[in-house]
Amino acid sequence: MRERVLVTGLGVVSPFNPDGGRERFWESLCAGETAVGAIRSFDASAYPCRVAAEVDRGWLQSARAPADPALCMAERAFERALEHAGIAPGSGAPRRAGIIVGTVLGGTASGERYLRARAHDAPGVTEALTQYPLRATAAALAEKAGFTGPVLTVSTACASGTDAIGLAYRRIASGSADVMVAGGVDAVCELSFSGFCALRALTPDRVRPFSRNRTGLALGEGAAFLVLEREGAAKKRAATPLGLIAGYAARADAFHLTAPHRDGRGLAAAVTGVLQDGAVGADEIDYVSAHGTGTPYNDRMETLALKTAFGARAQRVPISSVKGALGHAFGAAGAIEAAVCLLAIRDGIVPPTANLEEPDPECDLDFVPGRARSVRVRTALSVSAGFGGQNAALLIGGLV
Amino acid sequence: MSSPVRIVGLGSVRARDATPADAEDRAGRLRGVLTALSAEGAPIRLLHGIEEVAVLAAHEALSRSGIPMPYRGDDLGVVLGVEEGIDGIKARYYQGVLADGPLGASPLTFPLTTPNTIAARISILFDLRGETLTVGGGNVAGAQALGLAVRALRDGYSALTLAGGVTCVEQEFLEAASLVGRSESGQPGGGACLFLLGLQGSASPAGGDRLLGYGEGFGPSDLQDAIWACLEDAGVPARAVGAVRTAAVCDWRSVVRAVRGAGIGVDIVRSPSSGLCSASFPLAVAEAAGQPAGGTRIPVLVVGSDCLAGAAAAVVQGGQ
Repeated sequence: MRERVLVTGLGVVSPFNPDGGRERFWESLCAGETAVGAIRSFDASAYPCRVAAEVDRGWLQSARAPADPALCMAERAFERALEHAGIAPGSGAPRRAGIIVGTVLGGTASGERYLRARAHDAPGVTEALTQYPLRATAAALAEKAGFTGPVLTVSTACASGTDAIGLAYRRIASGSADVMVAGGVDAVCELSFSGFCALRALTPDRVRPFSRNRTGLALGEGAAFLVLEREGAAKKRAATPLGLIAGYAARADAFHLTAPHRDGRGLAAAVTGVLQDGAVGADEIDYVSAHGTGTPYNDRMETLALKTAFGARAQRVPISSVKGALGHAFGAAGAIEAAVCLLAIRDGIVPPTANLEEPDPECDLDFVPGRARSVRVRTALSVSAGFGGQNAALLIGGLV
Repeated sequence: MSSPVRIVGLGSVRARDATPADAEDRAGRLRGVLTALSAEGAPIRLLHGIEEVAVLAAHEALSRSGIPMPYRGDDLGVVLGVEEGIDGIKARYYQGVLADGPLGASPLTFPLTTPNTIAARISILFDLRGETLTVGGGNVAGAQALGLAVRALRDGYSALTLAGGVTCVEQEFLEAASLVGRSESGQPGGGACLFLLGLQGSASPAGGDRLLGYGEGFGPSDLQDAIWACLEDAGVPARAVGAVRTAAVCDWRSVVRAVRGAGIGVDIVRSPSSGLCSASFPLAVAEAAGQPAGGTRIPVLVVGSDCLAGAAAAVVQGGQ
């Protein structure tokens, strides 16, 4: 029998809370605020779309600047998660502790800095390359915490954060680790912005998930990490759990490199798989944190996938997307949304889908428009989908 | 000791062709694969060498296993180690943006700047709908992919998994790596090595080579930890190891120390694929499975390490 996997710590850095203050993050989401605004981290004046949800870079200044923004956000969220869990770096059994980081871009902002400087023959930026590799963040965080167990970097497009948490959950459930810190990070950069702009996936103004007048996604950024612990280990050190990870599944669309399967085949399979993994029925799901990017294809696909996997229950369960508020933080998105589920369970509140003012008849589920809602959430589902047909789902439970 | 994992099929491709005839042969094989796969749909066009070696290796592994293509099932997934392989693509894409602004952003090239595109390409072309994961671990990315696949099989999350590593070491990577002193293992060219893995004794198709165990480590004693964890996982005592092969490693002397420290006294052989970064570990595993050590099929320890991502080890035994 698998041992329960508890969540004993949570750290989030988002445009609402560059300092990593959890409550500010949660209050802003529940108040329906939005962080999408004019891009500040690079000159976007030549692009037809010029908005994103960015973390105030002034807050990210590090003693060893110039540091990569993704690394700075990851370090802050990671530290907050360990503090919340009451785990001091170097404590515990290091071989039984590890980290899994989900990221799409890694230190791409540093790579850009190097290439810009090289284009202008500017010297002195080669140090930026040390923070560029995808695996640099996981290595830096593991070193900081003194973990010598599994140290992995997962890159599954926009499902990276969800897959990182899911794989960490499996490590603990199988008994091969006691503590895993897992989550995701990504920073806004021109490389990804220009690409999504070229694919015409960006909104010129606001992100309106599940709305009839939705115009696309906005890039976002941030980092979120959960501390997962084997129940026995958490009890032994009298940790205060926030909830538990009760299941994980991932499936591929096997359809297209940049577009989701029109009927949500892969996402429906992932949701069905996670319900089986957690041994729960659709009727036991009280809240769904949707992927909800605000692109025409994603939101329609997601609606169909949830209907396929949930049957009649799909019409009755509250579903919301935080991307209207926070934009799409890619590798961090799934981890941020797992944090949303945990806080929804804690407070009995589900955040609204910001900017959902004109419901789309093709997206005809309860997407919690307008304002936050009081709901007793015992079990929540967080779903992610991404480029290449990646789909992942996490089941997050309370401690009843 | 955990259950051994069966190597059901193997596909390996090296992009550095020795002769023009080798290059033509590889191109011909790729044309044949793409023509067969496109028989039911639109013509398939691959954009980059890294896709080509990955698709060829995947096709070889699946066809040797007797797996129907397209597969159309969600019990077969893909776990791929990819890291430096896309650095050249990213660099050229961004240089286009720097030169021409938004007009320099190619919508065709952009998807290839995300690491999971190669695994996704395999999943799409062969219609594999199971778990599809991409790991970035530098020189041990391919090893970590094998490790994740082994776990998914043993824990019952997947029936069959196509796992391994792929790289395309390009000039941009070599230049950048040399600037930060990490060019030790970089060789121009590229390669891919993918295994179709299934659980021993399961209903998976028959095959003789086996992955007996896997281990990983991080930090000051990463190699030692990886080797001990691997031997324990395999249930193989140090004295039973018949040969040691190294994939790409961060520091050769540390490998020797760790191997000797584990009580393994046999010769340590450097794999000829050690310059192929993410693909080097799977290629070394393939070499170990395919070559009898001392004329008998005895367990071979494969070791790899990365300056950032830590170390990995696997015990492999060729079929009788």
